[in-house]
Amino acid sequence: MTAPLLKVENLRIELTTRDGVAPVIDDLSFELGAGESISFVGESGCGKSMTALGIMGLLPEKIGRIAAGSILFEGEELSTASEKRMREIRGNDISMIFQEPMTSLNPVYTVGEQIAEVLRAHQNLSKSAAWSKATELLDAVRIPNAQRRVNDYPFQMSGGQRQRVMIAIALACEPKILIADEPTTALDVTVQAQIFDLLNDLKRQTGTAIIMITHDMGAVAEMAQRMIVMYAGRNAEQGPVENIIEHPRHPYSRGLISCVPHIMATLTEERHPLTEVAGIVPSLREFGKDQCLFASRCTMVSQKCLDKRPPEVAFADGQKSACWHAEAV
Amino acid sequence: MKDQMQDEVLLDVQDLTVRFNVGGGGLFGEAKYLYAVDNISFQIKRGETLAIVGESGSGKTTAALAVARLVEAYKGRVDLAGTDFLTLNDEELRQARAKMQFIFQDPYSSLNPRVRAEKIVREPLDNLDAVPESERQAIVDKLFEAVGLHPEQQRLFPHQFSGGQRQRIGIARALATQPDLIICDEPVSALDVAVQAQILNLLRKLQADFGLTFLFISHDLGVVQHMCDSIAVMYMGKVVEYADRLSLFNNPLHPYTVALLSAVPSVDKERRAATKRILIPGDPPDPLALPKGCRFANRCPVAQDRCKTEQPELNEVAPGHKVACHLVDERAVSPL
Repeated sequence: MTAPLLKVENLRIELTTRDGVAPVIDDLSFELGAGESISFVGESGCGKSMTALGIMGLLPEKIGRIAAGSILFEGEELSTASEKRMREIRGNDISMIFQEPMTSLNPVYTVGEQIAEVLRAHQNLSKSAAWSKATELLDAVRIPNAQRRVNDYPFQMSGGQRQRVMIAIALACEPKILIADEPTTALDVTVQAQIFDLLNDLKRQTGTAIIMITHDMGAVAEMAQRMIVMYAGRNAEQGPVENIIEHPRHPYSRGLISCVPHIMATLTEERHPLTEVAGIVPSLREFGKDQCLFASRCTMVSQKCLDKRPPEVAFADGQKSACWHAEAV
Repeated sequence: MKDQMQDEVLLDVQDLTVRFNVGGGGLFGEAKYLYAVDNISFQIKRGETLAIVGESGSGKTTAALAVARLVEAYKGRVDLAGTDFLTLNDEELRQARAKMQFIFQDPYSSLNPRVRAEKIVREPLDNLDAVPESERQAIVDKLFEAVGLHPEQQRLFPHQFSGGQRQRIGIARALATQPDLIICDEPVSALDVAVQAQILNLLRKLQADFGLTFLFISHDLGVVQHMCDSIAVMYMGKVVEYADRLSLFNNPLHPYTVALLSAVPSVDKERRAATKRILIPGDPPDPLALPKGCRFANRCPVAQDRCKTEQPELNEVAPGHKVACHLVDERAVSPL
């Protein structure tokens, strides 16, 4: 078996807050193979974006740091890499698109200039070569009339088009990993479908591995092969998407799947109340405690859950659940 | 008697049109108008939920605001239980608003941060003459209980609540005047998924307990499917399809509706296998330069010449199922 493209082991990321130091990522391990796509799922404040920022070396300065564990990219340790080295890796090998296509582009430069900037910085292309590549990329992300639109400023484009420009920038140097942090949350559903279609096509053509962060189980089912369900900075469950949707082994994954009203193949008159996951994600103060952090919202809670953090239990096909009652879920 | 109650049309909206002046009209030439809502009609029966769905810019929120007279309609009728809302004067409207309340999308900006929760919920009562002052606190107590908040939380300020709890305050405020109709404008789209379920269940429970009627605005078709009895799909200010819940989801007819439904990602393996994704290319047309024909024609995979020149009417093609498409007839088969 070949080594994975990205291997994260026992990662711990700490944030300094007014109440002290909190482990916003607590003992997270996962692997990503070349050309694979995985998804991080969970509610706000569960550490999905923090994981992405940790990999990119973009943790908030002075506040966040990698306290323990390792991030191996093609065998190279990123958690201790210099800022100079990280700069080379970002954009070139690993790149990221963000949730807000409205605010992640610079309003005073044309989209062509912004795509070309990446190419010139990382690939030493000449001005004119970078410009014609920018036009090509704009065409590749299916912006009609790319020749002309390359001169547009971000405000002249719709939300979906701006997200395509972001994708063009992210893919300009043919990275090995693309991290997409809620890439379609701000977009309409028909535009989301276009973006997903585009990402899947580009993935097929370039073999880029995709890490998608989302809260939408439907999107996960469409886009990813494996998923990692995060809760309060910890890995609640991970495994193949179909297996987890068919048979979640953690009460939180089960809750996330069944709390959403899904459109099924055929709709009937019947409508059941949605399964509620009572309460909300605990505050940062609770993070890091030696207990199950989901216990306060869990219907299966027992004394054990409050006394000790549950270890991961392995099931067939690589499905793993950090729950004392995983067998019973 | 019960049957009669159920068939009573509570809200009857006819030919509602909202236009915004977007320049001109002074010394220099003709005024330019953007028609955000263009001649739409719908009805809601008492105790039922009508959802208006559509994407950003479709006019769904503007339509809701116009029904509540929070934006001025250019023409049309909004008839709530026999009262034409659009012709009321200011004071009549103030009193009539008791019968029509609003739940807003963003529970962070729709509550006054300097006012305690109890006052927020009581304010609608304080503004009306209907309930004597001595009874108001008892109503507030009941409302807090009905929406699942603790009595001791009445003294707190909005920032001391989570997003879901704030939305509960917004719901309690909307219920205070015992309205006939509640307009919910994207009531859960600012909330985390687990909290969404809590609020959706609460809304359905309150509807069953108090016989509420909802006009439900949403872009989330999963949520709409769960909440509504009938649905109007809007595109560029027009209703393109209007049907009961089962007809719309199981037999969508307008090409836009078909594409919209096919775009929704699903966890259901069976649905993913059965649904062919229909990608609609490009973007909606410029609302200031609307095409002469069908507004969806430039993106429609099956558009014909006629679609580009002639605007389709919203026709009833099956009982209770209306579609505005030249290519759908009484056989009620989608052209896609």
